[in-house]
Amino acid sequence: MSFREINSKMVEATVLPGQRLFSQRGAMLAYQGDVSFTPSIQGGQGGLMSMIGRRVAGEATPLMTVEGSGTVFFGHGGHHVHVITLSGDTLYVEADRLLAFEGTLRQGTMFLGSQGGVMGMVRGQVTGQGLFTTTLQGRGSVAVMAHGGVFEIPITPQRPVHVDPQAYVAHHGDVRNKLSTALGWRDMVGRGSGEAFQLELSGSGTVYVQASEEKL
Amino acid sequence: MSAYGTPGGPVVHDPMTLPADDNVNAYTFCVELKAGQWFLQKGKMIAYYGAIEFNGIGHGRLDRLVRTSFHSPLHASDWVVAEGSGKMLLADRAFDVNSYDLDDGNLTIRAGNLLAFQPSLALKQSIVPGFLTLIGTGKFVAASNGPVVFMEPPLRVDPQALVGWADCPSPCHHYDHGYLTGVMGGLRAMTGLGGASGEEHQFEFVGAGTVLLQSSEALMAEQPTGAVPSAPGVPGGGGAAPGGHGPQASGAPRLPGQLGDLQRRFGL
Repeated sequence: MSFREINSKMVEATVLPGQRLFSQRGAMLAYQGDVSFTPSIQGGQGGLMSMIGRRVAGEATPLMTVEGSGTVFFGHGGHHVHVITLSGDTLYVEADRLLAFEGTLRQGTMFLGSQGGVMGMVRGQVTGQGLFTTTLQGRGSVAVMAHGGVFEIPITPQRPVHVDPQAYVAHHGDVRNKLSTALGWRDMVGRGSGEAFQLELSGSGTVYVQASEEKL
Repeated sequence: MSAYGTPGGPVVHDPMTLPADDNVNAYTFCVELKAGQWFLQKGKMIAYYGAIEFNGIGHGRLDRLVRTSFHSPLHASDWVVAEGSGKMLLADRAFDVNSYDLDDGNLTIRAGNLLAFQPSLALKQSIVPGFLTLIGTGKFVAASNGPVVFMEPPLRVDPQALVGWADCPSPCHHYDHGYLTGVMGGLRAMTGLGGASGEEHQFEFVGAGTVLLQSSEALMAEQPTGAVPSAPGVPGGGGAAPGGHGPQASGAPRLPGQLGDLQRRFGL
């Protein structure tokens, strides 16, 4: 595994020649050895079309490539950091939550409307994801930022998981998500419980939830 | 030490169960005073047991103490001396708090991070602006955003993540902008397209010692360290050396590809 958690807010990454890391710009805390940081104009992987896609989708977070040989320490803004290791499946995460990820992962952009049509777009608005989200696919590890600690909840076909949209961080696996609403007349007159919208995730996989409802 | 899992609610402390000179939790430190004295930054005491008196520095009776262990008279107004017997809790805006022991050593720390120290240590202004140096034997308490990580040189550190360093030579600036050279780099520098990586500038540490690093780039509020005498040869003193080299010391460092200012070129 490429990332090692030093403490709850800091990860260590080993950079070897020929391997590349992507990280959010300005998130390096310290490094040892001979490492170079280059701003990535394209904001990640793929060619020019991927860059345009990300710009249009609003998923173009400023990234930099980290190359060389040595050890790099990452952390950003006092946020908690969680390392997720992917073995061939796809992680769905907002681009601005990405602290760093390995170059072996394939980065893409997904239209939320493609998962459930109009309801998918509404869901994106409620969770703050917008209309698009970032996907990372392949084998490798990702360091994801969250406000407050992160915990994993497994999703099994028999037990769907309901998550507050503001506390949702990321998910991977074969998961369908839908927005379940519990709107009543109380919400209309402003006396609601504040939990009118919930994200229901079903299928099999894992969802990552932060211990706070504050966004990054 | 976590209170979250204890059945029956949070841990209740009384003067007997409070730790002596140790952390109560990650965000609070307890100092035990036995007819002794501690220096602390104004406003960092959150509670105390016992008979403790807090005096601003500048009190006539404390003159001797200040003379021996407090060496930056110009920012003395930011510090108080706690005196008496009892237990005193220190905290700073829910930042992580830790204590460090110095054994006949020296440690330089960012002024905003230092909360309190024992008078057996001497506090002095570092010649690096914004930093303070502690010399001697004793305990001090410092805050940081995220837990502090100790590292060994050779190391390059983001300026915002640096908390301090011990027993090693002062750091130097390191500029890393290799991507601003060459044709593409020139275009990048001229047009500003492509942005900067935000990691062009680090502090570089070499030699033997320990570097203290906080786990985040969110800085703590700066604390004034006091002005240094305005004299030639004093860094940050504002005393321009005779010969007209004064203005060059100010301003941002010049990156390659950037045009030098015309005044300097024509020797005006």
